[in-house]
Amino acid sequence: MSAPVSRPPAAEPAPDRLLILSVFVVASCGLAYELIAGALSSYLLGDSVLQFSSIIGCYLFAMGVGSHLSKYVKDEDVLARFIDIELLVGLIGGVSATLLFLLFAWMAAPFRSALYALVFALGVLVGMEIPLVMRVLNGRKAVFSELVSRVLTFDYLGALAVSLLFPLVLAPKLGLSRSGFLFGMANAAVALWTLWHYRLEIPRLRTRLTRGVLVMAFLGCGLLLSENLTRWAERGLFGDEIIFATTTPYQRLVVTRWKDDTRLYINGNLQFSSRDEHRYHEALVHPALQSMPWAKSVLVLGGGDGLAVREVLRHANVQHVTLVDLDPAMTGLFSRNDYLAGLNGGSLKDARVTVINADAGQWLETNADAFDLIVADFPDPSSFGLGKLYSVPIYRLMAKHLSENGALVVQSTSPWFAPRSYWCIDATLREAGFHTHPYHAYVPSFGEWGFNLATKRTGFTPPTRYSVPTRFLDAETTRLMFRFPPDMQPLPVEPNRLNSQGLVHYFEQDWGNVIR
Amino acid sequence: MQRRRFLHAGLGAGLALALPGCHPLSHLGIPLTVLHPGMAEGHRLRDGAPLPAPSREIRTGVVILGSGVAGLTAAWRLAKEGVDDFLLVNGPEPDGNAAGGRFDSPSGALAYPRGAHYLPLPSPESTTVRELLAELEVIEANPFSARPRFAETALVHAPDERLFFGGDWHDGLLPTEHVGADEAAQHRRFLAEMARLTHTRGSDGRRLFCVPLVQSSADPSWRALDATPFRDWLSASGYTAPSLHAYLDYVCRDEYGAGPERISAWAGLHYFASRGGQAENAPDGALLTWPDGLAFLASGLRRRVPATRQMAGHALRIRETGKGVEVLGIDAAGPFLIRARKAICAMPLHVAARLIPHIRDYGFDPAAHLPPQAAWLVANFLLDGFPPEPTEQPLAWDNVIHGSPGLGWVVATHQQIRAARPAHTVFTTYQALADRPPAEARRWLESASADELFALASVDLISTYGKLELWQRTRAVEITVRAHGMASPVCGSLANPGLAALREADGRLLFAHADLSGYSVFEEASWWGDRAARLAASH
Repeated sequence: MSAPVSRPPAAEPAPDRLLILSVFVVASCGLAYELIAGALSSYLLGDSVLQFSSIIGCYLFAMGVGSHLSKYVKDEDVLARFIDIELLVGLIGGVSATLLFLLFAWMAAPFRSALYALVFALGVLVGMEIPLVMRVLNGRKAVFSELVSRVLTFDYLGALAVSLLFPLVLAPKLGLSRSGFLFGMANAAVALWTLWHYRLEIPRLRTRLTRGVLVMAFLGCGLLLSENLTRWAERGLFGDEIIFATTTPYQRLVVTRWKDDTRLYINGNLQFSSRDEHRYHEALVHPALQSMPWAKSVLVLGGGDGLAVREVLRHANVQHVTLVDLDPAMTGLFSRNDYLAGLNGGSLKDARVTVINADAGQWLETNADAFDLIVADFPDPSSFGLGKLYSVPIYRLMAKHLSENGALVVQSTSPWFAPRSYWCIDATLREAGFHTHPYHAYVPSFGEWGFNLATKRTGFTPPTRYSVPTRFLDAETTRLMFRFPPDMQPLPVEPNRLNSQGLVHYFEQDWGNVIR
Repeated sequence: MQRRRFLHAGLGAGLALALPGCHPLSHLGIPLTVLHPGMAEGHRLRDGAPLPAPSREIRTGVVILGSGVAGLTAAWRLAKEGVDDFLLVNGPEPDGNAAGGRFDSPSGALAYPRGAHYLPLPSPESTTVRELLAELEVIEANPFSARPRFAETALVHAPDERLFFGGDWHDGLLPTEHVGADEAAQHRRFLAEMARLTHTRGSDGRRLFCVPLVQSSADPSWRALDATPFRDWLSASGYTAPSLHAYLDYVCRDEYGAGPERISAWAGLHYFASRGGQAENAPDGALLTWPDGLAFLASGLRRRVPATRQMAGHALRIRETGKGVEVLGIDAAGPFLIRARKAICAMPLHVAARLIPHIRDYGFDPAAHLPPQAAWLVANFLLDGFPPEPTEQPLAWDNVIHGSPGLGWVVATHQQIRAARPAHTVFTTYQALADRPPAEARRWLESASADELFALASVDLISTYGKLELWQRTRAVEITVRAHGMASPVCGSLANPGLAALREADGRLLFAHADLSGYSVFEEASWWGDRAARLAASH
């Protein structure tokens, strides 16, 4: 931004051309804030169509309000007000993305209100810019038709530039926070440059100059620090940096990473940590499959991350695996994203695997296939809806899909933190006619975790060796898994009946005791 | 929690043909269908339209007229008994008050009730119902024991019911919070007294209150309560709590279509003390339901009747002759005459009174003996997703607003076992027009515009979710107008000599309908259908 040579402004057309050029910058910035707000709210709230539409609508309306308000600026103040507004736009627009991030991370409630308030304020200010520029130029005796044409041309050109630059370069390379600060600095630069150029006409030049420099410096610091700030905000949410986040019609998926620890959260609940998920998934799959070398077909319900399927596929005797998971976004993510597919060893793309995106309950009701092993890896029974997936009728239904010497393995919450829930699932399986073999394993990121191996016939004994490579399981570990020490003994609880859903109440109370 | 929702199951089909009229709601743009089952046919009979001459003749042993729960049960029984010489004439509304419907939603077909939607655990005396439930695998084991085992998929899943009271939703239908200690004590005393009455026997050794009603004790000291309004009995017994009165007002309207100021004390107590059904795998007072309500049972019965023994069409006149019964009827192919050995009249009594010119000969004088009939609206809302709940209390199967003129709504997808909530659902709202005399209610229903019906049907949903939310989510609405929805057991109903006479009829004309009991539930309808079939088969 080179300072032009100073001249008496009214006589010279050249600086006015530069003023027109500033329209280009101003328009770019104006659109950029709108895009940032739209992208950010889509990212944080989901439903991008709704977010973009409502933000653009709010912004355009606010611009109309701004245009209207601009008429109350007195003719002699126009230039000074333009500079003030530029600085204010730069400041608010510059911090908008970071501010919203922090708000979302630390206080979830007022986020929407803050979002629309910010967008509205920015829209009002931006809406005043172009009318003011036109009035500045008009005051300088430019031909009106020429003036309108030139201002609007540059206005739209600026919009075009940013609409291409933002999704292709700025958002992916700089991220939303830093893009915000960058555009804020551009606004402040226009203010400083205009200030300098028209310094002879501006009242209280020194104050304004100081203000401008301060804003510029603040935004510069923001640009340098924003990455840390955002990371700090996301840590507030998830503890670690978010590497992927999406909201699907069913749930919100967030993948975080910190050093070598990748974590998947569904609706804010930890699903796995890459550091210790092998413990969970080995325990879920191998005790059953090792004891049934005849098993050919396996059904995995839930588990769209493909990690259980990865363990199943280690058994060469398994010829076919059917994975039924509700959410195509989940299975798509874990089969197409190279990094995440790396975690499951590409299991979802394996030729032996069929991925079906359907509701497990509905699929079991309508499908007639039989399996040697069914792995029920559902979310914890934290609601009446999920509680139904741990009920006598659904276990009876699973039994119909199970071969006579087959087995059903159920992830059964924690026998330590939620003992009544754990033993309720055991009682429910027995009520459904299964012989149960409860077991547990220590998964550091979850704590002591529980499983249940249910069979139609008696005679299951835990394996004493494993023919597949394991990192966690061996003979001694397995023996201890099937033993419950004195402080984890079975509790007398009712099975989970659908008309009372005792499990959901147990679960709520058990975890309530842990958390509070 | 002791409660049961009304089951206007029994209304046979006599004269109830769906007359679909589709009125798109102009100012909302929601497609709205209004059904008036049986109205056109019934009004033609009422207005004395000339009878056509039959163009063909059908001969059969037993003709069953009407295919509501009573008619279907009779046909099921005859088929089961090996009688193959019978004919079920569906009447203008197949399945009667146990009818159901189906919306085609973007995520698949969704079934819903057009009438009654639940069945309590059957009482020990309801042997017909138990036999049927066992056949349909709703009872999995020991159907005739004290505690049969029921299919959990049919037992109403938790959370079963909630009440909006004192500005918030609460579990259960009788408020326990936000009421004073005195009111809460009255609630407890009332429920304890009802529990005691359930097991009390009269001077003849029978239970005081039974389903089927005819098996109740004849003890005159208790039957005297037939002459007292339920409200007066409550006051006289010291039950003055406003919250209890509001609850019982809801119960009476829900079960009987009229408030406790008109319902007899005997009927009011009968609701609480009659069934006493128990289950091996559910608490006392549990309920059975299906997505399409009792249409599940109606279609189960119908499937067990050979298709060749069923025909469309409805009766226009029923006459006894020297050798048997002559039924003039009409179907799409034109007027016909059925000659049968016996006829089972399984239509509601206000229709039977028009069809049988000499019904007084059977001891039933319509002018004096016809039970008052409550007018109902059953409305089904196809919704895109679920509206957000205003409070923490989750949506239940049955959702009731304390003090509302509406009877709340049930959720047709409640019994699904799904990992995620369905993308579409159906809410069914119920309205008994109990705030005005039935005849006035019927006049209003006949003249009301589609918008007026919609406004009445949606009152509870709007007060809960707001107009905007409801309108945005609603994809289609179907309103079934049941202007003669059910008989109300008002004072004197139990002693009604006309009903008693029809119950005893054992000639060529047999009667089968819940109206014979003076109130309308599935168990009564199936009881009378079963009895008529056995009588018809035995001669």
